[in-house]
Amino acid sequence: MFALIDGNSFYCSCERAFDPKLRDKPIVVLSNNDGCVIARTQEAKDLGLKMGEPWHLASKRPELKPVICKSSNYVLYGDMSRRMFDVLSSMTPAVEPYSIDEMFLDFTGLPGDLVARSVELRAAVRRIAKIPTCVGIGPTKTLAKLANKLAKGDRAGSGVVDLSDSEYRHERFANVPMSEVWGMGRASVAKLDKLGVGTVADFIALPSDSVRDLLTVTGQRTHAELRGMACYGFNEGPQTRKSIACTRSFGRAITEWEEMREAIASYTTRAAEKLRRHSLFAGAMQVFMRTNEFNNDPKYANSATFEVEATADSFALIGAATGAARRLWRQGYRYAKAGIILLDLYQRDDLPVGDLFATRDPGRSQSLMTALDAINGRFGRETVRSASVGYQRGWSMRRGNLSPCYTTRIGDILVVKA
Amino acid sequence: MSYRGDETTGFQSPAQDYVEPVIDLPALLDLRQPGLYPVRVVGQQLRSRGIHAGDILIANAAADPIEGKVCVAFLHGEVILATLVRKGDAWLLSPSTGEPQPVTDEVEIWAMIQALVRMKV
Repeated sequence: MFALIDGNSFYCSCERAFDPKLRDKPIVVLSNNDGCVIARTQEAKDLGLKMGEPWHLASKRPELKPVICKSSNYVLYGDMSRRMFDVLSSMTPAVEPYSIDEMFLDFTGLPGDLVARSVELRAAVRRIAKIPTCVGIGPTKTLAKLANKLAKGDRAGSGVVDLSDSEYRHERFANVPMSEVWGMGRASVAKLDKLGVGTVADFIALPSDSVRDLLTVTGQRTHAELRGMACYGFNEGPQTRKSIACTRSFGRAITEWEEMREAIASYTTRAAEKLRRHSLFAGAMQVFMRTNEFNNDPKYANSATFEVEATADSFALIGAATGAARRLWRQGYRYAKAGIILLDLYQRDDLPVGDLFATRDPGRSQSLMTALDAINGRFGRETVRSASVGYQRGWSMRRGNLSPCYTTRIGDILVVKA
Repeated sequence: MSYRGDETTGFQSPAQDYVEPVIDLPALLDLRQPGLYPVRVVGQQLRSRGIHAGDILIANAAADPIEGKVCVAFLHGEVILATLVRKGDAWLLSPSTGEPQPVTDEVEIWAMIQALVRMKV
């Protein structure tokens, strides 16, 4: 038995935790560089604000005047996520942090009423980690995730939905669209829709074999999970990672190659760290850069996708990325955004064996990268870095309405009036 | 290299087998507990309780309310320190200035104060 606990409008709730003036107000949190809406409170949703709306357009709509916007503060959100995890760990035997705002709980073999337990967990997370949540319970991860969505959708409800009873599931599933289901991409939902399969009830009525023919083995697993047969254990899920991206809009337009090179090197460093954290190797990458789409600057956008010798080595990847960026670079434009995407990701076991033409000593590269990650893990990000990453960082993010890092910086802690 | 009172070059240190680490104040405060939030005091209204402007207080959101203790409260949009007063089954919050207020939706006990750090005495 699983539960999924999920923070309501998590980023907004982190902001509210330290500022009573934000109570009951419509709040949004903006993406890096204050670009788009990435989190909304219920009050903001009720005003018609959509996820992903560019804020510079939305903020001009008169009905959105009362909306308070915040720059994203991942230092704060990361620490609040840690608090949520710690509270849950102190009350349940196994917690899996699935994302910054969602944790799976292993409810297998726990005594007592699971709904009552969930109510207690919610209350503790609200009181101690300051985050309001919803909980979904189900015999499989996919059902727990779906139960959580139903709990979120029912605003008058108790915040807990239990889908462990199969009769109750059948009752509800006639009204649940397939787009609500974990791991169902837009393409799969469209494919099913064409066949007249719109709801979860329709979907689970299909024979398992035809689901596999239609949606491959991942879809077949989702199908089994929705029928109550667990395919994913703790720390497992439907999607495998297909790419790792690090892309940003610049705080101000970049006009010099030197700055672009530093930005690309820095993004590649970040992506390569992520690659190694997942013990993966990249066999291809994409580099892109472009000017602002919205203003009157002369337009230029270009990208290059190319294969690299499968590697997880920061220096190899930086070399390839900056080389490609140099070929894309056209002097005289004002660049607003750039990024790199690592593609064709391998597990170690799937690597082509004994590459005769390898130009790097894999053993040496690996021990260098292990040392690099250990130093940066211990002494802080970018303590040791490639010199190409640079030292100036004039291109770093714009964050106009950033809240304090209340919980991690002594100069930023909450001020209380005696 | 660091010397802890044990490894000497000439005469063997009699303290060799008795070395203990320095006192670890961060371990004592244990700020990794998920309910602990350090906060900074402004204002001198609570000097009578030994709480001065500039003090760092360790607020514990996991602690239960106790009569007479100081807490961090959200009071009508302000973040203040208040003393807890019990009235029957209900809690009142007594700010350093103004009347005691019953705990409601708008008047919230945020965390109990459990420790104080003062870097300049």
